[in-house]
This record gives sequence, structure tokens and C-alpha cells, in this order.
Amino acid sequence: MQYEAIVGLEIHVELNCLTKMFCDCPNRPGDEPNRNTCPVCLWLPGALPRFSREALEKAALACLALNCEIQKRSAFDQKVYYYPDLPKGYQLSQAHHPLARGGWLDIADEKGAPKRLRIRHIHMEEDVAKLIHELEGRTPVSLVDFNRAGAPLIEIVTEPDVRSPHEAMEFIRNLRTQIRYVGSSECSMETGTMRVDANISIREQGSSAMNTKVEVKNMNSIRHLGDAIAYEIERQKASLASGEAIVLHTRLWDPEKGVTLPMRGKFEGPCVPDPSVPEIVVTGEWIARMRALLPEMPALKAARFQRDYDLPRELASSLAGDRELSDYFEAVSRESVPPRTAAHWILTQYLPALKERQLSIAASPVTPGRFADVLRRLEADEINAASAREVLARLFDTDESPDAVIERGGFRQVSDAASLESLVEQVLGAHPTAMGDYRSGQAKALGFLIGQVMQASSGKANPKRVREILLSKLA
Amino acid sequence: MDSGIFVYREEAAASGTGLLKGRTVSVQAGLSVAGWPAEAGSLALRGFKAIEDATVARRLREQGAVLVGSTRMSELGLGLRDDGAARAVTAGLADIAMMTDLVGEARLAAADAGIIGYRPSYGLVSRYGLFGLIPSMEAIGVLSRSAADIAAVMAAVAGRDEKDFSMPEEPVPGFLDGAGQPRIRTLGWIRESVAFLERQERQAFLLALEGLAKAGLTLVETSLEEFELFRAVHQVIGSVEASSAAGKYDGVRFGYRSPAAKNWNEMYLKTRGEIFGPLVKPYLFQGAYYQFMKYGAFEKACRLRSHLIRELQRLFGQADALALPALRAGFDPREAGSVSALYDAFLFTLPASVAGLPAVCFPWDDGDPAGCRAIQLVGPRLGDAGLLALAGQAVTNKTKES
Repeated sequence: MQYEAIVGLEIHVELNCLTKMFCDCPNRPGDEPNRNTCPVCLWLPGALPRFSREALEKAALACLALNCEIQKRSAFDQKVYYYPDLPKGYQLSQAHHPLARGGWLDIADEKGAPKRLRIRHIHMEEDVAKLIHELEGRTPVSLVDFNRAGAPLIEIVTEPDVRSPHEAMEFIRNLRTQIRYVGSSECSMETGTMRVDANISIREQGSSAMNTKVEVKNMNSIRHLGDAIAYEIERQKASLASGEAIVLHTRLWDPEKGVTLPMRGKFEGPCVPDPSVPEIVVTGEWIARMRALLPEMPALKAARFQRDYDLPRELASSLAGDRELSDYFEAVSRESVPPRTAAHWILTQYLPALKERQLSIAASPVTPGRFADVLRRLEADEINAASAREVLARLFDTDESPDAVIERGGFRQVSDAASLESLVEQVLGAHPTAMGDYRSGQAKALGFLIGQVMQASSGKANPKRVREILLSKLA
Repeated sequence: MDSGIFVYREEAAASGTGLLKGRTVSVQAGLSVAGWPAEAGSLALRGFKAIEDATVARRLREQGAVLVGSTRMSELGLGLRDDGAARAVTAGLADIAMMTDLVGEARLAAADAGIIGYRPSYGLVSRYGLFGLIPSMEAIGVLSRSAADIAAVMAAVAGRDEKDFSMPEEPVPGFLDGAGQPRIRTLGWIRESVAFLERQERQAFLLALEGLAKAGLTLVETSLEEFELFRAVHQVIGSVEASSAAGKYDGVRFGYRSPAAKNWNEMYLKTRGEIFGPLVKPYLFQGAYYQFMKYGAFEKACRLRSHLIRELQRLFGQADALALPALRAGFDPREAGSVSALYDAFLFTLPASVAGLPAVCFPWDDGDPAGCRAIQLVGPRLGDAGLLALAGQAVTNKTKES
């Protein structure tokens, strides 16, 4: 029997606000445990929640980035459950009236065809405290860290439109790009600022039934998300094949073993309106103001890069997918560097160099101006590509100007005809066989000879000129 | 201590200057004053000390009031069984007592003690620092012999607080000069409310209203057919909110913890089983029942609440204020030990709690021992100062007559 998978995603994104959602405590969950707390986020008697405007704005920007419609009225509810990570007995979340509804993101499916995946709604909620299970000697203890209690989150709930692990991974990559763009979150599954749960069911191909779903949690990378969905689809097929019914439950992904394992039964507590956080009412004007804060989003920017800078599609979308990177590219291009050269060098040389040194663009000593200086020397044939790479590497370790590095390092390329001609003569004299090979029609002998000349010049000869001179001598 | 009136007394308290210069004020043990014990009458808070000042406590001190101590209270403020606030005033230990009003505690404590008890419009006074139980229906009430003192307290404590986001942005009534507060000229009474009184009680109540009207008021008979629903609406919504609000009492970080448990899960269950008393525990059970099992009933109560609020607004088109009975013969609010007895005794104070309206109870004396002892007035939202002025005038006139 042919089955297809029906997958819906629930994505928790931790907003990078300065403060928590209902108090002024710093939103830095990673600090020394229980440092960032106050009577409000510890929920001591007498404390009242104060909803943060910054959380609302960052949440709204994320909603707009995901093409959702912000609701003029939304409200917080109490999601009631008892657990040590939630000592007040309920989590503030928007169960009945979410902040935004009805969004979408476009992805490319396995065959590269565009596909639109719908988002049902996005709601705001507070994070709960973090439990740490340890051993004190031989006694197991559970510790509670309240630094994370009250951290601002949004939860994005998709329609069950995803049909494969590939689509889920593409959706999450695209969502991460969009939210990073508006600056609301880093969206890292590895560090936990984004958590993705998948609701998975399968049905006969062509059927429109919605069968019992299984929730899978605990994936800490996009690759694991894909692996977990793939595993779960196969597990469900095998269950059905052996005549077992699928029951509603939650499973945890075990990244070591590469399997999903059942966990506690799903507990659905009640959600009652919270009487202390007032309804959130926004105006059309406010929404327009938020919309005006949106940057040019990646898809539009990629199209503009193709059009205005005449970049191939691949290069344009690679650059546009990261806001800092695309800004860097445009800054370099503004310094009289041909855009294609800039794009190519940024992606193939500059980015790997940053990665190797674990630097961000913002922290990099190679500013757009300094990088552009190197590329202009290259374009003007004053240095060759090998030298440009070397100069770029040195710029990470010095405050000197690129020109100073070029002069001091002797990178300026040798282009004057007299010096090059004498080098060529030397090489031809030393390699008569290669000369004979070329003349008898073996074209690749030319490459060998160019290499020899470059070596003789310690890499500083202008390879284009060397080639010209060689060709005229061999003719 | 002090015949069970206070649980804590501040010996070194000194007066400052301001509107309340020299006035002694007691608070309940569930309103935070930094460093004071704050057990709110509950084992759940045994040994708990307030960390910071409630906004109300801070503002009282800023206006020169002397905070003399905190009074004994019923468990988490529900009902009047162990309450000492009214007695702090009648015993002359405080000029003014601050007291939580959930179902009508501040008003009936005063009615019972023969003093004035007032509940402000919802959202007029910050709840920051109040150990709440029913967030959408609780208010910090004020008890005193003097309506002028209550008005001065309100002038000191009312108004926006950046720590309480649930307070709407609206002008504070002029408590001292009556600015923006029209005089109350027509007084309505609700036919369906007095139907709950025995015949003799009803006559006494209407006689009292006629006596009150002699000061130049017109009495108007009005009708609110669903009056009896205030009780169910308050009980369903109140118990649901209480169930959530009491979720934080688990014996982990403060208060009593059951010593008998073998693991943490059992510790939670046993502790929660042991910390709540015979009135609060069934109330929390009811709330959990509506939350987990009968959510539809809760939603219906919320819709009815909106309807009842609109109905009361309609009545304020016919009368400037509404008069309601306060105490009921045979239903002693200090003795109510079960949820149904509580709602029986506080039947007439529920409408103001449900609708967030200002209300005041003041003593009445017709010279007849079987007569009406207290009248309750309910005003439109933010009509607080007018109500207090009328109550003050009525008490003064009575004093002159006798």
C-alpha cells in the first residue's frame, strides 16, 4: 500500500528581548543560575505580571516576516498544569486569542518546484524554569533555574501541509532566515533558541482522512528534525503493516540511536483567560508602523540583486539569505568593485575566513572598505588572485591598510614586459621538451609553462601577461 | 495578641506629614509591608515575610499614615471567620483598617461592627502587593468610623501604578473636593433583591431607605430579573480564578511542607492536601472542577457576567445609585464555614464584586432592635466619591438625630 505523510510543525522561538516577558529581569537564561529573577518571575505572592512592549514588538515583527495577519485583539490565558518548572501552576500563553493568524512561507520541494506551506497561527507565551537533574553523591537531585522563567517566546503552529522530511527542513530553514532578518531571534536549534516539535500521521495515498498523529520532540538540529520525521514515518508504516493501531502519544527523538521512543501520555490542561494581563489591543496604525520597520526581506532582496547587480540566481540568494552578509556585499560593491567579483570573493574567500576564525561580520577587522581596497587592486591587475588571498588573510591580523600590506609583503605583481620576458626566456630555456610538446599540439603544456614562470617570479607575475608573452614566443 | 485582632504590631511606627498625618492604619496580613510577617491566614504562607511594600502601603506612608500592624484574617481573605480588621477600628487600635473584599468581606465586616466599609471601583487601586485569590473580583477595601477618613485614604492610594497593568487609564475621582462627582439625587432599589428577604426584614429595609431619602433623595423601584445569577456567576468565576491563584502554594519555596512524603510528587500532593482549610479547599476543588471538567459552564458564567454588568448599567440610567441590603437575618457572615453558607451570607454584596463597581456599607439605626442595621449603596464605575459623600452625610445626620 502507498502511504503519504501528513506533518504539522509547532515551533517555539525565544525572542531576543532585553527583558523577560512580564518583568524587567534581564532575558539572559545562560547566566549563573537564578541570578535574573524578581518577585514577578518567581511568582511570589503579591506580584503582578507587567507585559513587555518590546516582546510585543519583536513578536509582531516575526509574525509579519512569516506573512501572518496581526490580530487587533489578542489575550493571554493560563495554561494550567503542575510541574516543578512552573511553580505558579499555570503558564501564560495565548490559547484562545493568538497574536496572529493565517501566514505562509514558500519553499522548494524535492523536485525544486515551489510549494506554499501555510501557518495557522502564532501566539506569544512565557517560557518556564529550567530543570537540571543531577547526582549529589549518589542521591539524584533536581534543581530549578529560574533565569529562563518568563523568557519571551512565540509559538508558530503550521497547518498540516508538510509531506516529507525535506519539506520540513526547508520550511524551518526558510523560517529561520525570515525571523533572523527582522532581528527577533537567532533561531538556533543547537543552542535552544528554537525548538521544533512535529506532529506526524500517515494515510493512504489519495485519501483525505486525518489519522491519529504522534508528536515527536527533542530534535536539536535541522538535520535531526528531518531524520526524526523520516524515522517516525517508517515506524508508523511498519506498525500498520503489522496490524497495530497508531495511538495518540508523544515520542522523544534519541539522536544517539537515531530512533524515536515513547514518553509520557499527552496531558492537556485547561486554558482559562488570565485576569491580570489586560487584553492586548493594537490599532491598524500600529500594525502599519511595525510593517514599516520590516527590512527588505530575502526573497525581494535576492530578486533585486539579480536585477540590479546582474548576479546569477544562486549567488543572489546566498547573499540575500543573511541580512548582515547582504549588507556587507552592498557596502563592498559601493566601493567601486564589480558586484560579481565582490559576490564571488565574499562567498568563496571571506565567509570561510570568518568561519575559520569564528568571527561574525560585525566583529571582523576586515571592514567592507578594506576588503574593497584589496579587490580593486586585484581588478586593476596590481596584484594577482593568489596574492589577494594572502593579503586578505593578513588583514585579519593587522590594522595596517591593504596598500601597506601589499607593499610590505611585496605582493605587487610584476607586469612590466622586460622583466616578464626575461623570466619567460629562462623558463623556455630550461624546459625545451615542454616547448616541443606544445608546438606538436599538446595544449596543456602551456599551463605547465605558465606555472613555471609564476614559480620563478615567486607568484608575483601577472599570469595574464605571462600567457600573452608565452604565446607570442611559442607561435 | 490584642484579643486576636493583630498578628503583628509595629511599635516604632511614626507619623509623617500629608493627607493622613497622624492617622493610624492597620492592614491585613495579606497585604505586603516589607519585612512584616505576611501569612494571609494560611498555612501555605507559614513564616512568610513580605519582601517589598505593596503600592497601597507605600502610598499610605507617603501621605503621613502610621501603619500600626497587620490584622488577623480568614484563610487567604475568603470570608470573615477569623477576621480582626473591623475590631481594630472598634477597639480604637486603628482609625482606618485596610481589608480585602472578595465576596464583600470589607463591607459586611463593617456592617456587622457598626462602622463604614467601602469597596472601590475595580482598577482604581493598585493590587500590587496584595496576596490575591480572585484577581478579577478582588479590591482593597477601607473600613473606618469616618467617611472623610476613607476619602482621604482614597485620595492617597487611588490612581495608576506602573506595577499593576490591569488598571485602566482613567481619571481618579476627586475624593477630597468632589470634583467631577455629581450629587446622588435618585436612589434605586431592586425588586428582585429584596425578594430574598423575609417579610419583616424587607419592610425594615424599605423603611430605612425612606429614612435615608428624607435628606432629599428620590427613591426609584427598579427591576433586574436575573438578580439571582450574581451568585452562580461569582461562584463559578471566583472559584476558577482562586484555583489558579492558589496554584503557587505548594510548600516548595515557602510555607508549610508536609513531612510525610517519600518523593517530590507525593510531597506536592500531601502538602496541598494539608495546607488548605475547610472553606478554601472545597472552593479550590470547585474551581478545578470547572477548569478541568466543565469549562463550558465557566464560559457561560463569563458571558452572563457581561450581561449582568450591562443590566446594572441600564439601572444607572434610572437611578444615580442603587441601594441593596447588607446583612441577612439568620446568615451571620462571621460564622459562614462552608462555600454555600458563605454565598448565602454575602448574597447582597456579590453584585458590586462581579461588576467591579464601588460600594459602601454604613450603619443605620431606626431605634428598633429588629430594624435594619446597615445599608449598602452601589454606584456606577468611578462614582466612588459621590457614594462616600452620601454615606458620610447619612451617618452624620443620624448622629445629629440621636
